[in-house]
Amino acid sequence: MAHAAQVGLQDATSPIMEELIIFHDHALMIIFLICFLVLYALFLTLTTKLTNTNISDAQEMETIWTILPAIILVLIALPSLRILYMTDEINDPSFTIKSIGHQWYWTYEYTDYGGLIFNSYMLPPLFLEPGDLRLLDVDNRVVLPVEAPVRMMITSQDVLHSWAVPTLGLKTDAIPGRLNQTTFTATRPGVYYGQCSEICGANHSFMPIVLELIPLKIFEMGPVFAL
Amino acid sequence: MAAAPEPVEPEERKSLKLLGFLDVENTPCARHSILYGSLGSVVAGFGHFLFTSRIRRSCDVGVGGFILVTLGCWFHCRYNYAKQRIQERIAREEIKKKILYEGTHLDPERKHNGSSSN
Repeated sequence: MAHAAQVGLQDATSPIMEELIIFHDHALMIIFLICFLVLYALFLTLTTKLTNTNISDAQEMETIWTILPAIILVLIALPSLRILYMTDEINDPSFTIKSIGHQWYWTYEYTDYGGLIFNSYMLPPLFLEPGDLRLLDVDNRVVLPVEAPVRMMITSQDVLHSWAVPTLGLKTDAIPGRLNQTTFTATRPGVYYGQCSEICGANHSFMPIVLELIPLKIFEMGPVFAL
Repeated sequence: MAAAPEPVEPEERKSLKLLGFLDVENTPCARHSILYGSLGSVVAGFGHFLFTSRIRRSCDVGVGGFILVTLGCWFHCRYNYAKQRIQERIAREEIKKKILYEGTHLDPERKHNGSSSN
């Protein structure tokens, strides 16, 4: 989960998120250099004594400041498109879960094995145990195996919602009447938090998502079906 | 008997953010690129000044040198970093395969020895 006042990305828990962080670092370095150049140009503009207002025909400079931004954009676009297509790859998921958004809670359906269906409500502050996270913890977590490709089918029963887990690099809109799909493979066990990411009413901020990722061996023993 | 000391989580290095957003401490290759860029900027700018004695133009050359050297070091370092990650991933998968299949007919070492003896 994010720590207080965190601005940067959370640590990656999936290969896609690792690629997104690498791309983010790459784009940020280019942005930094452009900002540096612009700040220097601004400084020169503010401190120059030159006041010639009849400058014209700077063909070489015009050529440079047309071609250079195009090159920079290509340097950013190519890795971006690569990751975009990578996120659309379907790598034979071994497990499918449906996630249905409601006002203001999530319903999860494990229909591959046994037909388990449950709701996931945010824990009200009065019901928090010591150590629980306010506005993040839920009564029933989504329990999933680590290092197994998982397919999430996301939809909504009423208004628009969005199922997001930043550490996995996931954000998929839950649209009524439409079934969206996202896949992911978690690389390390743990408890990971997300929040609804599409405005959906008064309690939009109070319908979090909690994933509990456990080793495959323990998952196979069936703790998730002991509800 | 003294209790064993509890393992301490490694501290994340204190972040230094250039222009308020570029975290040079925690971004791989950023610190290395910025340092070499600064060195390149000083060398280019000062060298230009020594030859021409033009202050403003030397500053321009310094800034240009910073941008070019930083970018060059950045791409070079990130390319090597990407190669290293790929090698780490291959090594990790081979170790996993070895542990999983040791002694069975799927043992990668057995397959390799079998093909070399043939």
